[in-house]
Amino acid sequence: MKSFAGLGSMEGWLTRIATNTCLNILRAAKRRPELVTSDLSDNETEWLERVSDSSRAQPLDAEQKVIAADLAERLLESLPAEDRLALTMIDGEGASVHEVAEVTGWSESKVKVRAFRARKKAREALEKLLGRTGH
Amino acid sequence: MKDNHITDIIDNTPFVDLSDSELQTIHAHTATCVDCERAFAAASIASLLIKERTSEAAQYTLNANPFFETRVLAAWREQQAAPGDWSFRRLWSATGAIVASMAATTAALAVLTFVAPADNATNQQIAAVVPYSAETVVLDQDQNDNQLTNDQVINAIYADDDEGK
Repeated sequence: MKSFAGLGSMEGWLTRIATNTCLNILRAAKRRPELVTSDLSDNETEWLERVSDSSRAQPLDAEQKVIAADLAERLLESLPAEDRLALTMIDGEGASVHEVAEVTGWSESKVKVRAFRARKKAREALEKLLGRTGH
Repeated sequence: MKDNHITDIIDNTPFVDLSDSELQTIHAHTATCVDCERAFAAASIASLLIKERTSEAAQYTLNANPFFETRVLAAWREQQAAPGDWSFRRLWSATGAIVASMAATTAALAVLTFVAPADNATNQQIAAVVPYSAETVVLDQDQNDNQLTNDQVINAIYADDDEGK
């Protein structure tokens, strides 16, 4: 509270503190190895088969949403903390590169690079999973 | 052979923000490239996963206490309302280092002013009481003492020889 000068918005101030705190926690936590097929439950394997088959594409029901969120969490855990943050904010929350740069204090170039790397790693991890589930 | 250009497109932009022309390029390429087709499917699923996770996290955000910001702002105003304590702390944190260094300098000057002259006076008193102390020899050198001149010394040495002759 002492560091809040009361000049900017409280939302921005709290967001920056929360972002940096979470980043520090994620950096300190040991990163899990890449997600492999043997890590997937039957439900997750079935979910992947279902969504990768465009002919069976349907809106997700509540149970499938939970499976997707859990799978996403594990996919994100395999990424470095900074890549994860950039991907979640830009692709998940729809934030612009400029907004992420403001919240994190990074340059816009760094945000773009982090997001690019994160997308690539996430895509490659899913490609491996899809290859092993028969698609 | 895999065409990296397609993967560059899908890695550079959020999946939902891909333009129509980019999608046309991708579809034209994936029609003939199995690897890129799989890459595109994986990117699509990754985007879906991230979206689902974000929407679930948003549920928790919506369930957060709506009075949180009000309470934080109230606590902040409360802190500002105690001006004496607050301003003294702010003042001390801003000027503490310079005030401390000024106090140390003043103390050092006081020691040099009052303690060092007292030591000199003591030395002079000792020199006066002990006539052949080191201080006396150094400080009270008498230029007009009774030292012999060179001629007197030579005369004293060779006086006996002259008398013998």
